[in-house]
Amino acid sequence: MPGGRPVRCLALLWFCIFLLATVPPATFAGEGRLIVAAASTLSFALREVAGDFEEETDVVVILSFGSTGKLARQIENGAPFDIFFAADDAYIDELDEKGLLLPGTKRVYARGRIVLAVNRDSGLVVKGLKGLATPAVERISIANPAHAPYGIAAKEALISAGVWDEVEKRLVYGENIRQALQFVQTGNVTAGIVSISVADVPGVDYTIIDDSLHGPIDQAVALVKGTEAQEEAVRFLNHLFGPEGRKIMKRYGFMIPDGL
Amino acid sequence: MDLFPLFLTLKVSLVSAVFTVTIGLSLAWLAARCDFPGKWILDVIIMQPLVIPPTVLGYYLLVVLGKYGPVGRFLNDVFGITLVFTWKGAVVAAVVASLPLFVKPARAALEGVDRNLENAARLLGKTEWQIFRTITIPLAWRGIVAGAVMAFARATGEFGATLMVAGNIPGLTQTLPIAIYDAVQMGDTTLANTMVAIITMFSMSVLYFVNWLTRGKY
Repeated sequence: MPGGRPVRCLALLWFCIFLLATVPPATFAGEGRLIVAAASTLSFALREVAGDFEEETDVVVILSFGSTGKLARQIENGAPFDIFFAADDAYIDELDEKGLLLPGTKRVYARGRIVLAVNRDSGLVVKGLKGLATPAVERISIANPAHAPYGIAAKEALISAGVWDEVEKRLVYGENIRQALQFVQTGNVTAGIVSISVADVPGVDYTIIDDSLHGPIDQAVALVKGTEAQEEAVRFLNHLFGPEGRKIMKRYGFMIPDGL
Repeated sequence: MDLFPLFLTLKVSLVSAVFTVTIGLSLAWLAARCDFPGKWILDVIIMQPLVIPPTVLGYYLLVVLGKYGPVGRFLNDVFGITLVFTWKGAVVAAVVASLPLFVKPARAALEGVDRNLENAARLLGKTEWQIFRTITIPLAWRGIVAGAVMAFARATGEFGATLMVAGNIPGLTQTLPIAIYDAVQMGDTTLANTMVAIITMFSMSVLYFVNWLTRGKY
């Protein structure tokens, strides 16, 4: 092969790189820019809240969704986030202890509720958590209590209701709350304990579980230390906790507790 | 549709391809021509990204290159460069992930070069660099280009490690694969399908090109 061709190929490659390097990053109109890291469960709700907020102010909100654990690791390694919405406040506490969050900025943005979900086609009427103890309920799904906050609450509720020992052998653990629900929805398990924010789907009947049976499921938000947009971040949170923000969050099943 | 992820992906994979070829060619040459103690360790390390889960790879990179990692701290203190959570971090992830795909065919191609031709040039008084540039590389050209194109394609599709190291920040570090993941999560199937079609057509044409280039060779 003639020696000229490789050289020409390389030259073309470098030319392309030069061209691409001139592509500017997405332009951000307006004054402020806010990078929000949030648990994936908030995908829909936060997009709507952010859209409203952007219209009202000049601040551009960039939303970065991921699993809470992964986002926490990224913050530990210096990710340029301004706000962190965790699905579980334990992660907020953990980062706070390491001095990675702005002290005193932790706020609970939603208190989760769990429900007893039953597959409609199963034809079973499950009366409360005690009803799970009957052999007719062959399998029961909950989120994995080893790491999922809703799984922990489900386990606590089953223990409080005094049926844990009977149902433990029939439990199927979902990786997360959505998977636990999927097992019920597809009829692979008869009943399950999931969060109310995901329970409203076809083919599933649900009843709310008394929240005195389990510890609070708090989802918390905090400002990340080193943020250069503290003022914008505070404005964003005020918007979220304001009447319009609350309305949107409620519509997506996140109930901001009163007085918070 | 926002074209930023597409441009970013092309930029990241082109820049990473240049690094992969430069680093990979030295490694392939080392592997093909030199014998030294512990060579098998180097071999195993280079091939690692092919077999370990990309998220694990990304975690390693994040810990090493991050703000408090040994390399990350050095780069930041000495040169003021931050790799993580920038497009440069995505380039590093792409280089590491695509290196084995380049080194393997490049090494095979280098090993396939007839040493007698090099020796003849050596007898005629050429320097080692001249031999490498005018004899070895032109003879191994096909394997090297095939490897480079594969590496480029792999970089285009890199997801797991990039998500860890560069994050999923729309407009800053969100590459095409990550944008697809986001769209699927959001249930935006139209957007996801469009992007999936683009990336599928792209990778199919790349593989066609590689097959055409290496026809009857491997």
